[in-house]
Amino acid sequence: MFLAWKEIRHGKGKFALIVAMIALIGYLAFFLTSLAYGLASSYTNGIDGWGASAFLMTEDANDNSALSLIPSATYDEIALSSGAKAKLGLFPSVIKSAAVSSTQSNVYVFGVEDASFLLSSVVSSGTLGPSEAIGDFSLQKDGYALGDAFTLVGSTMTFTLTGFTSNATFQTAPIVYLNLASFDTAYGLPSGASSLVIVHGTVSSLPSGLKSYSHQAFVNSLPGYGAQVATFSLMIGFLVGIASFVLGVFMYVLTMQKVAYFGVMKVQGLSNAFIAFSVVEQSLLLTVFGVAIGLGLTLLSGLFLAGKMPFAVNTLFFVGIAVAFLIFSVLGALFSVRAVLKIDPLQAIS
Amino acid sequence: MENLIEMRHITKDFLQGEEVIHALKDTSFEAHQGEFIAIIGPSGSGKSTFLTILGGLQKPTTGEVLIADGPFSRLNGKQRTKIRFEKIGFILQTANLLPFLTVKEQFLLYNRANRTSPNETRIKELFERLGIAKLAKNFPSSLSGGERQRVAIAKALYHDPVVILADEPTAALDTQKAFEVIKLLASETKAEGKATIMVTHDERLIEFCDKAFALVDGAMTQIK
Repeated sequence: MFLAWKEIRHGKGKFALIVAMIALIGYLAFFLTSLAYGLASSYTNGIDGWGASAFLMTEDANDNSALSLIPSATYDEIALSSGAKAKLGLFPSVIKSAAVSSTQSNVYVFGVEDASFLLSSVVSSGTLGPSEAIGDFSLQKDGYALGDAFTLVGSTMTFTLTGFTSNATFQTAPIVYLNLASFDTAYGLPSGASSLVIVHGTVSSLPSGLKSYSHQAFVNSLPGYGAQVATFSLMIGFLVGIASFVLGVFMYVLTMQKVAYFGVMKVQGLSNAFIAFSVVEQSLLLTVFGVAIGLGLTLLSGLFLAGKMPFAVNTLFFVGIAVAFLIFSVLGALFSVRAVLKIDPLQAIS
Repeated sequence: MENLIEMRHITKDFLQGEEVIHALKDTSFEAHQGEFIAIIGPSGSGKSTFLTILGGLQKPTTGEVLIADGPFSRLNGKQRTKIRFEKIGFILQTANLLPFLTVKEQFLLYNRANRTSPNETRIKELFERLGIAKLAKNFPSSLSGGERQRVAIAKALYHDPVVILADEPTAALDTQKAFEVIKLLASETKAEGKATIMVTHDERLIEFCDKAFALVDGAMTQIK
């Protein structure tokens, strides 16, 4: 740590700029990753918490959950060897309210049966009586408050908000939960019918006409989701790859500037290992500082953006990016070490 | 008297294009404790070759260098680096000191490199003798040329080497400063019982030395 740290301390201005550069590169990578991950999660975080083992849909729906209709009788035919099943009504919709200034809000309406496991993972308060509803907290941005009444577009029924969920969105729209009986009435569906059946366990007998999806298969069937995730993954993958490379080259250039000192040190008999170690140490030190600041900036931005933009932290991605940066900066430093080892100490002598 | 460093029939040939350059011709040389020896020669005379072979920075074509009666030039690079680190103190023209270390830290670097704790008594003693105590916290950029060379001398002596090798130590100094530094180097050589070999083109420095050799076209003759 001696040489690496003393040099940083001596050239404070220069090294502050270097750390700032690494911090900004890190900020860019972390921040974009959080936005992309936030957007991807806003497609699915209303259903992620269920831990469902299967999503059942009619074959005729052709992967489009809003077109699936499972009658009550078919639901009864679904046999499980273990676990539980639950009906889920699901429709994209628009709600409007006289109590709220913003005219209309796009939502996803979920019809659920009381006490089903579908609710417990997201709802902490509120009741779902015949004309009651629970909505995602992002509806508060549109001006909704507890006790507000709203109507579903295309239906004459009025519902009252009795509670809010945190982070329950589906295909980026806030979810409004209704009692399944009210859902069926509102959309004119036969009593007890549902769009999907969600299984928490193992299906032993699947009635004909139904198709089973794993959680991932169901998510991938959502329109636009796969393409969007692929696009963002590629963009961020390239961003991290290129940024890591730039960082590595930077560390290389930084070390190569000091070749003259290394020559003098070698004349004085300082070992290659000692010199190489100082070089790698300094690169690590700068990168760790830079990445930490970039991470801090990202988390801070996340606080400011909460509720305004989809922003979600994924620890695994962050660790991956940080490790990529560290590996490349050490590689860059090691590359220059190779050159340092070849320096002829003779150059330091007239 | 024991030979601190000794050259036995050293030759060094270079290939320049197709022509063989005899940079050093059959040179034998020895330095004893307390001796301050000057090697004088114009540029291109083989001075640098002489010094780098003596310091183990390159191998001779034939012959052998011994240090404290032990093998040196015939060892491999890593072993020579270790001996250079322990038994030789270098004083170079100017760039001897690392710009981002204070005067005191230049000395601590030696201890960092071999994982020993600093010898504060030794540092204090050298700082006082060489008159650099008040410069301990300064960076090299704020020192005058003479001060820098005094620090360089102290640094070369710090780890108690057997031999001091000086490469044009007065090149960047005016006459008065140059004489001061050389007198100091001569008195330290005696006080510490080292052998100091200085390569220079400045013949006026001979009067401060015990022995002097002239190096012309790779051949060495004693002139004092």
